[in-house]
Amino acid sequence: MIANLTSIPGGPVDPGGDLGSLARALTPEALAALGAPLALAAGVVLLLACELWPVTARVRPALVGAALAAAAWCSWRLVAEPLPRGGLVFEGTFAAGPALGLWSLAFVAAAALAWAFSAGYYRRDASAPFKGEHDLLLLSTPVGMILMAGARDLLVFFVGLELLSIPLYALAAFRRARATSVEAGLKYFLLGAFASALYLYGAALLYASSGTLAMAELAARFGAGSAPALGQAGAALVAAALFFKISVFPFHVWVPDVYQGSPTPVTALMSAGTKAAAFAFLLRTCALLPASAAWSVAVLALITMAVGNLAALVQEDAKRMLAYSSIAHAGNVVLAAAALLAGDPRSSAAIEGAAIYYLAAYAFTACGAFGILAWLEAADGEGATRIEALDGLAQRRPWSAALLALFLLSLGGMPLTGGFLGKWLVFGALVERDMMPAAVVGVLLSVVAFAYYLRLIVAMTMKPARAAAPRPGDEWELGPLVAGAVCAAGVLLLGVVPGWLMETIERLG
Amino acid sequence: MDSLALLTFLPLAGALALLALPAGGEHGPHGRRSDSAARALALAVTGLTAFLGARLFVGFDGSSAALQRTFERDWFTLPWSHAPVRLALGVDGLSVTMAALTAVLTPLVVLSTWGHVDRRVKEFMVWLLVMETGMLGTFLATDLVLFYFFWEASLVPLYFIVGIWGGECRLYATLKFFLYTLAGSLLMLVAVIWLVQAARTSSIPELTEWASRPGALGARGGAWLFLAFAAAFAIKVPLIPFHTWLPDAHTEAPTSGSVILAGVLLKMGTYGLLRFCIGMFPAQALAFAPWFMALGAVGIAYGAFLAMAQNDLKRLIACSSVSHLGYVVLGLFALNQPGLRGGLLQMVNHGLSTGLLFLLVGMLYERRHSRMLDQFGGVALVAPAFAAWWVFAVLSSAGLPGLNGFVGEYLVLLGAWKVAPPWAAVAASGVILGAVYLLSATRRMLFGPVVHAETRHVGDLRPRELALMLPIGALIVWFGVQPGALLDKSAGSIAALEARIARARVAAADPSIEDGAGAELPGAGAAELPAAIGPQEAVAR
Repeated sequence: MIANLTSIPGGPVDPGGDLGSLARALTPEALAALGAPLALAAGVVLLLACELWPVTARVRPALVGAALAAAAWCSWRLVAEPLPRGGLVFEGTFAAGPALGLWSLAFVAAAALAWAFSAGYYRRDASAPFKGEHDLLLLSTPVGMILMAGARDLLVFFVGLELLSIPLYALAAFRRARATSVEAGLKYFLLGAFASALYLYGAALLYASSGTLAMAELAARFGAGSAPALGQAGAALVAAALFFKISVFPFHVWVPDVYQGSPTPVTALMSAGTKAAAFAFLLRTCALLPASAAWSVAVLALITMAVGNLAALVQEDAKRMLAYSSIAHAGNVVLAAAALLAGDPRSSAAIEGAAIYYLAAYAFTACGAFGILAWLEAADGEGATRIEALDGLAQRRPWSAALLALFLLSLGGMPLTGGFLGKWLVFGALVERDMMPAAVVGVLLSVVAFAYYLRLIVAMTMKPARAAAPRPGDEWELGPLVAGAVCAAGVLLLGVVPGWLMETIERLG
Repeated sequence: MDSLALLTFLPLAGALALLALPAGGEHGPHGRRSDSAARALALAVTGLTAFLGARLFVGFDGSSAALQRTFERDWFTLPWSHAPVRLALGVDGLSVTMAALTAVLTPLVVLSTWGHVDRRVKEFMVWLLVMETGMLGTFLATDLVLFYFFWEASLVPLYFIVGIWGGECRLYATLKFFLYTLAGSLLMLVAVIWLVQAARTSSIPELTEWASRPGALGARGGAWLFLAFAAAFAIKVPLIPFHTWLPDAHTEAPTSGSVILAGVLLKMGTYGLLRFCIGMFPAQALAFAPWFMALGAVGIAYGAFLAMAQNDLKRLIACSSVSHLGYVVLGLFALNQPGLRGGLLQMVNHGLSTGLLFLLVGMLYERRHSRMLDQFGGVALVAPAFAAWWVFAVLSSAGLPGLNGFVGEYLVLLGAWKVAPPWAAVAASGVILGAVYLLSATRRMLFGPVVHAETRHVGDLRPRELALMLPIGALIVWFGVQPGALLDKSAGSIAALEARIARARVAAADPSIEDGAGAELPGAGAAELPAAIGPQEAVAR
């Protein structure tokens, strides 16, 4: 079995350690394809070195910023000057096409925003001295995300998944003085390990049934309609593991506790990045599912939306409410996967584009919303995210309230925000595939969503303040200020001048 | 810059300029002064907009059905359909009166806030100006996606206006208003996406042309599209049984919010019915017309009965709105010339009369801090000028000949009578019922002895209040004596619309001509409607 694995065409880089074959694999093209993960990984290694001496530790912010900027630039190159042959490298196990460029831009942006919002977040916390470890764990998550989104091989995806998940388990428990944070880390770890096991078991079954781990070959065999029951079971298990990471019903129950307990900047990263990365690979996995699964997936997605939205209605904590809202949004984006299944899987580029738009808008919005909550938590102390603590926020901290209101309206999908056009594209995919009932139920469920988004806005703008106004000048510090402004700009740009991204998406197909 | 784009976006620019002002009210160091600056700036911007709106109205050529003063800029291209979405504005006979009414009413609303908006003034003005852009854009957009942007974006400002500056139960009312309207809007969104992706364009004139092609909408598609659009508009109008959000929103809104709501926002619903449900899907409109006429007529009577039972003056006027908008819907769905003209006229009339009534109730409330009818009596003794204005507004609302309401109601009844006499009869009884609740409320409030001592301290109208009511009063008299001033502006567009309806009617009567969806719908009302106005007659007009 092991011998077989290493000889699979398109298997990961030869584990035998043959340096010669490694050198042959690292063509300039492959380097360009892996530019963003390599830049981030280099940043991680340099950070490790820096932390050894207190003097060099001071350059940490510059180092993180440089790594993120380099990764963003490399991702942008993939979009601006697409590599030949769709960017397929390493014998077809990794595809660095323009779509991956867009995905990784979103991941890098999410990581950068989460990092900026984490500035000052831990300052009163016992974990404050370990900010270096925090930053390097944070910096390694987008490496995993990019590998997940670009994987065309079941094992490459798994490597990416673990590269993402293991740092996140640690980050979730990062405020170890707080029981909820430790609880979040433990829950995420146990359930995440369970999902990883599901994934591996599914991949093993797929391999056993068809003798390959390459997505293209698997898709060709499954597409011929001759998939054995064993392979179908494997595909279902892989899909279940992805559903766990995307938080689709019934694999969503871990989300509220983990999102609420984790440090809020980490929550922002989880909601914006993890889901998107797993979803990008779900689109590939769709090729393994029969077209008849379209309606099952759509129904699951709608149930996810219903569960997320209805549970969010009764929450008393804004962070937990947004956690449920992120479940609902996962349902929304999985509707795009259902639309993909319903049609010809080969014409997936347009739907992938719709999902990218939706998730890019969601990345800015969710990072912004959780980021503002993180900032409030840091400034006003524990319990600042309870809804009644937000009463009259517009009087006390007008800019925080205005930004949070903008993000909430975008989450709900008001026109002139990125959330609206994302919703338009996803529902447009459903309409294009003639799944009108799913579209109608979906939009009606997003009316429910507004009930709780508005509840926060009501608290902030329409109720009298309970706490005294802060001193003037206490409103912002640099990191969160810049990150909040960037999120707001992103949300508005995607909503008002969507031309650039729309055209780029159009070119994907 | 083109005048339509200027008209639409000037208020938004004003709102952005307002944001730059220092915070006012109790927080800022220069509180009062800053509030006055915000008011003055808002008044100047809306005043300029009103001037542009009035100039647009005067310069509009009513005999033509074509879009005038079009403004077009590329915006972005939608995937799948490759439909270019444009920043496209234009005005025709259906929208010119509503756009002008919006522009003219808003500065009066700004003036009216002097009395009742005394906290967070700057914020209020920002929302009001944003809303004005939303409303003007809704009426002037000639691109469906742009229309939807404006349509839904105009929801948010009113949500804040009611929620922040409203009465005691404002949070409940504003949430109900928002969610009700949003539910309808989102159903429309699915229809909009469907339509744009199927027709591969989002320009409203092109879509209208496309939808009239034989077989374009498929066998059942037309009916679903019609119903999805109608859901959004029926909730906004509001048509019974979707009306329950309106009394709450009206009652809890600040006076200015009520005036905008009654004057313009509800008209977005009837305008949508006219532009999309009738203009874009005439075959389906013919098929569903009996239902809409029934809902309109029942709404007239039901709203009137509701109004009779009210003690709260604002709630009473809100219920009368339900009744009056029933006339509009009844007239529009009569689908003949008098009905359409009457409906369009009533849209403006209701905005003026009900707007004036809400302003007067607001002024009374500012003095007496009550709107309950049983708290009043004898107001005419202490505030005679107020009483005179109130009686004037009531008579205008009740449709006294010589004032604006009469012509519109008459045309609506005439149009309805030609196609559905029973519903016309119900509607006509509504005229009497309207007089009953309006006049009995007037009697209880104005006349008789002064029952409560506080009423004695109700002062009469101040010059500012007179100044803001005079333009409305003048328009009420002008349109009563000279309704042609309004009707002529829409003549060309109404004639074109009638021609479309006539073509759809012919097609529905003879399915062999085309497989239009209207012919296959159950209970196709077209066959039952007597051909009151034939196609030749319609074209001749």
